[in-house]
Amino acid sequence: MSYQFKWSVLWSGQSGHWLLQGLITTLELSALAWVLAVALGILSGALRTVPFKPLRAAAVFYVEFFRNVPLLVWMFFWYFGVPPLLPRGVQDWLFDHGAEFWAGMLALGVYHGARMSEVIRSGILAIPRTQFEASVAMGLSVWQAYRLVIVPIALRLIVPPITNESLNLLKNSSVALTISVAELTFQTRQIETYTARAFEALTAGTLIYLVLCVSIAWVMSSLERRYAIPGLIARVGGPG
Amino acid sequence: MKRGLVVLLALVLMATPLSSAFAQSQTLDKIKEAGVLTIGTRTGSPPFAYINKNNEWVGFTIDLVEQLVIPAISKEVGKPIKLTKKESTPPNRIPLLNGNQVDLIAGTMTDTPERRQSVDFSLTFFLTGAQFLVKKGSPIHGINDIAGKRIATQQGSTNAKIIREKVPTAQLREFPDQPAAFQALLQGQVDAYTNDGIQLYGLKAKAPNPTDWEVVGDFFSEEPYGMAMRKGEPKFKQVVDAGLKQGFESGKYFEIYDKWFGPKGELPYPMSPQVKAYLLKQIGK
Repeated sequence: MSYQFKWSVLWSGQSGHWLLQGLITTLELSALAWVLAVALGILSGALRTVPFKPLRAAAVFYVEFFRNVPLLVWMFFWYFGVPPLLPRGVQDWLFDHGAEFWAGMLALGVYHGARMSEVIRSGILAIPRTQFEASVAMGLSVWQAYRLVIVPIALRLIVPPITNESLNLLKNSSVALTISVAELTFQTRQIETYTARAFEALTAGTLIYLVLCVSIAWVMSSLERRYAIPGLIARVGGPG
Repeated sequence: MKRGLVVLLALVLMATPLSSAFAQSQTLDKIKEAGVLTIGTRTGSPPFAYINKNNEWVGFTIDLVEQLVIPAISKEVGKPIKLTKKESTPPNRIPLLNGNQVDLIAGTMTDTPERRQSVDFSLTFFLTGAQFLVKKGSPIHGINDIAGKRIATQQGSTNAKIIREKVPTAQLREFPDQPAAFQALLQGQVDAYTNDGIQLYGLKAKAPNPTDWEVVGDFFSEEPYGMAMRKGEPKFKQVVDAGLKQGFESGKYFEIYDKWFGPKGELPYPMSPQVKAYLLKQIGK
């Protein structure tokens, strides 16, 4: 026996609709989680370098606690662990209004925020100390030096690793299916359930992830070129 | 850059036909050569297949394989055959089978027309149907009461599909495995959990306070469990069926049933006359 591919299962019946639904959910979930992750990453990455110990300690705790526990565990934590702490009425309301989506978003965003934090910290550490000293010497406060000089330059330095991390985030959004979020991987399994055609469904899912990730990488590399500070960094060979 | 992408795509597409090329070898020859039958089965579906308190992988379906199917295969290939168990779940079991990682899926798989296009099924070895597990006193008494309610199902099961068709307004929450779905019911994330009645009885028995939960509703689907095999191997199917048939005829099957589902069994679930008639009808009785 050899396996007969039947690609029409991907557009016959409801498959196409499901794939589209899954794609939209994956994008929504990833986009919201990404915003959260970047915000948390910038905040805690910057806090890890400030000259004030309690803030550094808090940021270290956040990073080490959240990046060193598997994402799957965080999914269960936000979905099964957090709601019982809320009043019963709030719980019921949440469960009726997409609690699994928000739990998945928080799990993904907080986990990747801890990872992004390290990327951003490395960007900040790559900036010569003299630049910070020069900012302060010009009369900027520490907060202003960070906001106007250090963080903007660090963000430009770390575009490649942030791209990496963003692609990971997008692909990791599939873990949310364990708490019943109907994202893309979930929908490819759905098609398999209805048609018993696993290879076709998985191939469709694979191609969609691949196209999404390649597009994101392309957008990020355009951003990198668009916002590069001329003369700041040696570009041997140039990007892409 | 562009060429790299094409190569990558080709690799992804090629990976699949490669694994199915192996499927051309006959399963029986493979078993004979290795002296091993590899089955894909469950780890958390008592009493069909599960890890028990003593950390042993046991169950009704596993017993059927060991005591009925293995002897039939041993007889066919003329040498003793050992059993190897691998974990399989509803989403991955057909790929495991078609990828040749296992030779037989023996767990809690329902024989459906769609699945018959991808795999072959043995004789039915168990018959159940979908019901609901709810908290005692719940307003849900069956499939007619679930409109607008949050219903947990196991992804890859036939039950979700039926609910989606019959009660589209029910809010389905599909979990990849039973423990997560059951946890969602225990904590109130969902109002009911639907699965095959027999599995719900099993979960209820395991719940912290079994009397707080009840299984409700008529069967809203008929779920005949079969063992699945790679398609297009009539000889192998014949041998597996012969083992089961021998079990029905000799009464050995009913002894095994009694061990797991009898009054002193892991999960008391007496066989109704209709179910018994259904099973025996398959072998012309």
